[in-house]
Amino acid sequence: MKRTLPFIIILVVLAVALGSAWYLTRTIPASPTTPVTQQSSSPGSPVAQQQKPPVVQGVPGADPPHVLGPADAPIKIEEFGDFECPPCGIFHPILEQMKAEFGDKLQITFREFPLVPTHQHALAAASAAEAAGLQGKFWEMHDLIYEHQNDWKKEFDVRPIFEGYAKQLGLDVERYKRDMNGDLVAQRIFADGKRGHSLGVKGTPTVFMNGREVPFENLPAEKLRVVIQNELRSSGR
Amino acid sequence: MKKLYVVAALLSLVGLADALYLTIEHVTGQSVRCTIISGCSAVLSSPYAVVAGIPLAAVGAAAYFTVFSLAILTLFGYPRAATLVRAMVITMFAISVWLMYIQAFVIREFCQYCLLSALITTALLVVTLIVRHAR
Repeated sequence: MKRTLPFIIILVVLAVALGSAWYLTRTIPASPTTPVTQQSSSPGSPVAQQQKPPVVQGVPGADPPHVLGPADAPIKIEEFGDFECPPCGIFHPILEQMKAEFGDKLQITFREFPLVPTHQHALAAASAAEAAGLQGKFWEMHDLIYEHQNDWKKEFDVRPIFEGYAKQLGLDVERYKRDMNGDLVAQRIFADGKRGHSLGVKGTPTVFMNGREVPFENLPAEKLRVVIQNELRSSGR
Repeated sequence: MKKLYVVAALLSLVGLADALYLTIEHVTGQSVRCTIISGCSAVLSSPYAVVAGIPLAAVGAAAYFTVFSLAILTLFGYPRAATLVRAMVITMFAISVWLMYIQAFVIREFCQYCLLSALITTALLVVTLIVRHAR
């Protein structure tokens, strides 16, 4: 018995470890299996064949929303993003790529979902983009903030950096600074957050396509492309 | 002496639980996506979190399980297992130091579960060094 006891203990621990890992992996809802990283997305990797999630409506977000692409586009993507979130920064060029590939078939809406207090500058970044939006330059500021995410996220004070972007974009900087701290910007961010919560958004990036959540594992470019193609096929366009 | 191997076995069990949790977070993408409660997204979404397509956390879980098994075997009188425990723990400690460097100076983000793992590996190293000196 003494000879076999250590092996029994080892096997029991192994069984418990594997069993709990299996159980937890299965019980986590809508569990994606691949992170949104360029490294992880191999071209041949299959798109998750999950049951289509239901179409969700939710409460309205900020009005008017920030939208790119035609209103009659067959594919309507709504992204809830946090400018300081690294996976959102990785997802940004993926969405740009999809926009370039699918053109007018794609309509993209961006919703603010700053994760406070996880990301200390997320709210300032969202405010900067919204303040630029009040001068008609939301997407330009959105792109600048994402593209320079690694330049500003470690800084103690990001406001001068974002003001630099505002200058670069030719905004009225004094108005931009007032708007950054104004009620309108705060209300827009709040409204988008409220919409996100009503749709069950828990983290970023969360992407909805034609009202259905795209599983996180399908956000790498190769998989997202297939998801869009499938959606286009099913809509007959 | 034997008590120290019990401590080593228990420490590696805690390490195994920690590494398993990180593996699940990694595989399911729950930590890779940014959430309100997550502090590990930057670390787990970095290229350093994967080695040859395998999540580093899973490699860590396997390592802790190996140390646990070897500590149990040592407790039950398999003398060679003790040497292997020491070799494993020294290797794991060296890797932990490297990963701490990556977190501090390359990613510049700390994941609390990775810090816990580094702490457990350090404790394991201390235990194995005490065993060696106690001989």
